[in-house]
Amino acid sequence: MTPLLRTAALLRTATLTLALGALAAAQDGVTAYTNATILPGGKPAMSNATMVVSGGKVIALGGADLKLPDGANVVDCKGKTITPGLIDASFQSGNNTQDLNEQSDEVTPNLRVLDSIDPEDPRFARARNAGVTTVHVMPGTRNVIGGLGCVLKTHGTDPKAMVIKEDASMRIVMGSEPSSGNRAIRGGRVNSMYYRRPTTRMGVIWEVRRAFYDAKEAMTKTQGAPGDAPASPGTQVLMEVLQGKVTAVTTARSEQDLRTALRIADEFGYQTVIDEAQDAYMVADELAGKKAVVMLGSPSAEGVGGSAGRDGAAPRAGTVAVLAAKGITFVITTGTNPAALPLINEAMFAVRNGLGPQQALDAVTIEPAKLLGLSDRIGSLAPGKDADFVIWSQHPLDPAAVAESVLINGQSVSQPR
Amino acid sequence: MNHSLLRIAIACTTIAAPALSQDLVAIKAKTIHTITGPSIEDGVILLQNGRIQTIGKAADVTIPWSAKVIDASDKVVMPTYVLAHSNGGMRGANESMQNVPWLSVADAIDPASSYFEEMLRNGVGTIHVLPGNNTLMAGSGMVVRPFGRTVEDMTVADNTGMKLSLLTGNGSRLQKIREMRRAIAAVREYLADYEREKAEFEKEQAAGAIPADKKWEKEIDRKQKAAVELIEKKMKGWLYVPSFAELDEALRMSKDLDLNMVLGANLDEAMPLLAKLKQPVVLDSTIEYFETDPETRKEEQHCSARMLADAGVPFALSLGAGGPTSYPWWQIGTCMRNGLSKQQALEALTMVPAKMLGLDDQVGSLAVGKLGNIQILSGDPTSATSWVDTVVLEGEVVYERSKDPRLKYLFEAAEKAAEPQAPKASDNSKKGEGQ
Repeated sequence: MTPLLRTAALLRTATLTLALGALAAAQDGVTAYTNATILPGGKPAMSNATMVVSGGKVIALGGADLKLPDGANVVDCKGKTITPGLIDASFQSGNNTQDLNEQSDEVTPNLRVLDSIDPEDPRFARARNAGVTTVHVMPGTRNVIGGLGCVLKTHGTDPKAMVIKEDASMRIVMGSEPSSGNRAIRGGRVNSMYYRRPTTRMGVIWEVRRAFYDAKEAMTKTQGAPGDAPASPGTQVLMEVLQGKVTAVTTARSEQDLRTALRIADEFGYQTVIDEAQDAYMVADELAGKKAVVMLGSPSAEGVGGSAGRDGAAPRAGTVAVLAAKGITFVITTGTNPAALPLINEAMFAVRNGLGPQQALDAVTIEPAKLLGLSDRIGSLAPGKDADFVIWSQHPLDPAAVAESVLINGQSVSQPR
Repeated sequence: MNHSLLRIAIACTTIAAPALSQDLVAIKAKTIHTITGPSIEDGVILLQNGRIQTIGKAADVTIPWSAKVIDASDKVVMPTYVLAHSNGGMRGANESMQNVPWLSVADAIDPASSYFEEMLRNGVGTIHVLPGNNTLMAGSGMVVRPFGRTVEDMTVADNTGMKLSLLTGNGSRLQKIREMRRAIAAVREYLADYEREKAEFEKEQAAGAIPADKKWEKEIDRKQKAAVELIEKKMKGWLYVPSFAELDEALRMSKDLDLNMVLGANLDEAMPLLAKLKQPVVLDSTIEYFETDPETRKEEQHCSARMLADAGVPFALSLGAGGPTSYPWWQIGTCMRNGLSKQQALEALTMVPAKMLGLDDQVGSLAVGKLGNIQILSGDPTSATSWVDTVVLEGEVVYERSKDPRLKYLFEAAEKAAEPQAPKASDNSKKGEGQ
């Protein structure tokens, strides 16, 4: 290497070190977002407010009189609105839904969706650019018991670094979806890969029952005792659901399926979150009685002009207002609707249909954080919480609102529009 | 000119429906968006014989004692929306044969269709109904209002132009383009034959081979008449251009035909071509879309309305058949999210389509002499929480939200659930709550 080249190489290394140093300083530095309208999540709006962020956490939140730390980098947010990063409690990842639906068995409680997460999936970028910083991903809806869901931040290249809660839920699916397209055996081998059960709603529910019977039976045995075979990994997950260690999420859309979901949970004595729940207005009293939490899928599908219901459901615009009036805890998700809007616009439709604006924002921030057991970290803006937030061009429930900046752990992660 | 041609000519140049109400109607408004002029706060609109007689500040307008007063003094008043291209309200919008220029939507419009009900609910007062996008040369359209028991009741103007479409079906794009060229060439051939025959007749008559008092009696074939009018530029064409790939051909076609274009969403590749569009265009209901770079897998969001605004081409918006794009406020919001002004977005649903339909002296804005086609909204037309409370068409109230059975059905569960807390809460306080 000639001396000149060596100098160039050295210089390059020096620049790189400098650049890295600057990045580290930015990470460790203190940034104050001032003059903003802050909707902190779970609490009323603060106007002309300031938020101070450092080390990826919110360190202070207050009015215009909040004293800024020395050397703080000030970002003037005049006219802007800041909300916590949105949380989508039922987010479908995967361009290819085949990747989320294991076909070798109908009951796969121990499969982990985390193992199929592709951080390069454009859906993460799409959600992130629209203000969603955390998502709860579950296996698909083609299996009776799909497996374990996980909670991820929407930015990163390594699923292990993105994940903030593994094994956050186990998905059970009611209705005709796990049986659709299946066919009973006709002259073939019983163990043929072309033969898939169940083929009816009865069959779907029987698969759920059988799985939980097995788990109950396994629980009567002393695990690890000599002579007793250990329970299968799937059964172990089901045992944890029965013990309340893993949250059961039951996907049910129509009135019939909603009632079945509650009945099966009762039968085996576990508490379940109800996912999708398009017909929730018909079973509101039962849901309230069982204190079931509802993950309402895509309220925009509850069109005025026609029914966008799936699997026999008849969604109606008034559902959000019914859930609110009955005191049912619910969150708003994009769910399994392939035509779902960005999460913030799903909340906007809920407001159009009668939900209060703060309640709608809470249903995509603090409420899903509570549901996922992560409200100490995310879902609201308060000292000590993750600095996951969105700077909106105006009130986020305005159809013209744009997520101008999206930050995760204090770092900007959105692409300029 | 024979009788039926005369009828078409009249229908093309006049507004068919006469004023329905001789009464005076006065609308008091908090805000009036006139679209073409400045907005008026605390205004009054006076309608006589279904037309706007006076519009101004409440302090400057005397409301006659005989006028029926619509009190919207806490509401927003603006012209009803105009749609320059729609396939709604028909029973069967797409003929399975590809080349059927002789058809007319008048024979397929179903006045009882829930589509028209939905349009009133959205504040739409003028709709240009055309055949669907799946047929090559699909037949002629008509302009209707979404109110009336028969097609005749609803008609505003008929034979408003021929629908043409380059949407690729089973074959390839090139095949579709070739089919279109062949179809147009066949009409030209027919016309040339017809004219040659007529010229021969006249020549023979001049030579004395045919008696001088014998008249040329052969008419243009009924199945060819509309297509002949199209190529003679006596009738407009409404060409659906599904994507950037067909735009080149569409521009070539517009050199020979009087075309209005209806553009699909996927336009980003055709950005340089867009500036070549001389006339206003209609945009498909999907105006925002994602595209993935095949190499980097990075997704980019595009907005066709923004692209046309950047190219300086006026555009009209359409509404989707269902879902969010079926709401005007969502379409307007989408434009505004992409950097367009509120005025620009509102014009795309009022004045621009009105001009494209040649009805800008009748609808599309609130001005003296225009039709009294007015919507009253609970709030700003760009807000998600605004609802259309009343629609007035030609001075007559044709829609009231408080009497809308469909909304009652959708919200009754919510109203029942809320009863113990608020037994007398009005509709507005529950559904139209602001942000």
